[in-house]
Amino acid sequence: MAEGLSKTCAIFFLTLLFSLPLGMIVALLRMSKDKVVSSVTRFVISVLRGTPLMLQLLAVTYGPYYLFGISVSRNKLIPVVIAFSINYAAYFAEIYRGGIESMAKGQYEAAAVLGYTKTQTFLKIILPQVIKRIMPSITNEVVTLVKDTSLAFTVSYQEMFTIGKQIANSQTSFTPFVVAGVFYFVFNAIVDFGMGKIEKSMQYYK
Amino acid sequence: MKKLFTVLLAGVMVLSLAACGKTAESSNTFTMGIDPEYPPFSSLGDDGKYTGFDVEVCQAVCDKLGWEMKIFEVNWDEKLVQLDSNECDCVWSGMTILDSMKEAGYVISAPYYDNTQVLLVKSDSGIATSADLAGKDVAVQLGTSGEGLLNGDLSDMAATFNNVITCDSFLKCFTELDGGAVDAVFVDLPVAVSYAQEHDGFTVLEERFGDEQYGIAFRSGDEALCKQVEDAVKELVADGTYKKIAEKYPDIINNLIFLQ
Repeated sequence: MAEGLSKTCAIFFLTLLFSLPLGMIVALLRMSKDKVVSSVTRFVISVLRGTPLMLQLLAVTYGPYYLFGISVSRNKLIPVVIAFSINYAAYFAEIYRGGIESMAKGQYEAAAVLGYTKTQTFLKIILPQVIKRIMPSITNEVVTLVKDTSLAFTVSYQEMFTIGKQIANSQTSFTPFVVAGVFYFVFNAIVDFGMGKIEKSMQYYK
Repeated sequence: MKKLFTVLLAGVMVLSLAACGKTAESSNTFTMGIDPEYPPFSSLGDDGKYTGFDVEVCQAVCDKLGWEMKIFEVNWDEKLVQLDSNECDCVWSGMTILDSMKEAGYVISAPYYDNTQVLLVKSDSGIATSADLAGKDVAVQLGTSGEGLLNGDLSDMAATFNNVITCDSFLKCFTELDGGAVDAVFVDLPVAVSYAQEHDGFTVLEERFGDEQYGIAFRSGDEALCKQVEDAVKELVADGTYKKIAEKYPDIINNLIFLQ
């Protein structure tokens, strides 16, 4: 199961690495003044949020083969991380958007008066406040991600839960599931603790 | 508000009582636990109903005993847990009899099918024996006897493979093979044969692995139920119904123990 745990961690960290920045790009596209761009993005987000992640995993893994004859990847980590990153980016995008739109208009006006460019305003004034504000929602998603990694078993990726199932099978016992449950819980306890620390470190105005 | 809550609560209780009554009444329904993706023993037919050799035999048994047959799709790697939790009355779906099942107290019927495991490969892969698979990837379904063999008696052979990949259904194993993600699938003979016949470009290797038999699993303490089913099957064999059903499945007919 230890080997499986490392694969679970690989999904987790790689997904965060790609989906957090990707989410920001999607959020900016979603808020674009160009009607076409924003409505296309909106549609994509609604598809990603409106269909099961399990289905998206299957589509990303086997879809290219059925549609274009591109062979199924031997290293399942690639399609798994792609599917997870795209899916989580959609959720993160909406969280970012909520954060950015909650900023008072006055701040943009004040920044403009002080001679900040649009990019400067966004990076130096808006973004730091947004990150602070959305931290609890991000934590929520990250905790869900830890548990969602177990979905990778549908595309035969040998992560912790798949291996737990194999052991449970060969021993006709439930213990591996209990062990897996404890692993997920401890993993999330660590995530919770880490995110709590980050949140606290950002409360510099209080 | 409080009153409304009381009424609702009472409603829920009445409904749950009614639900209890139903299970007690329906003692003459027989719920068959199947792997819905296991042709030719049990699979979804073109008409959207489950079919296959095991399903047809079970239907005939239920007709004979005057039971109403229900089908429950088990999650193959949890089948015994689902049997224990009363979700089905038996597991009857090309299930290999394992010593561990008997040790765990399950009642297992007399074996009805001789099975072996084989390797299914792509015809143009140039793989002719298991030795050619050294350093290659092999898929197997989670919870099958094939997986057990690769972890147990055949672990020496499995050690020569690059990777053994477990999928949650055989169809997924075959998709992996078709899509080029693995080089072979380790699978029960009848499943491999029927897949190779229906799809071009696949070959079943000559080698046979393991020596195992299929049986029906019941909960511990259900000896009487098992006996009833076994006797009904015997009658079906005697009156020729069994053979008639078997003739629809030419891939497996030669290995049916009751017809030998």
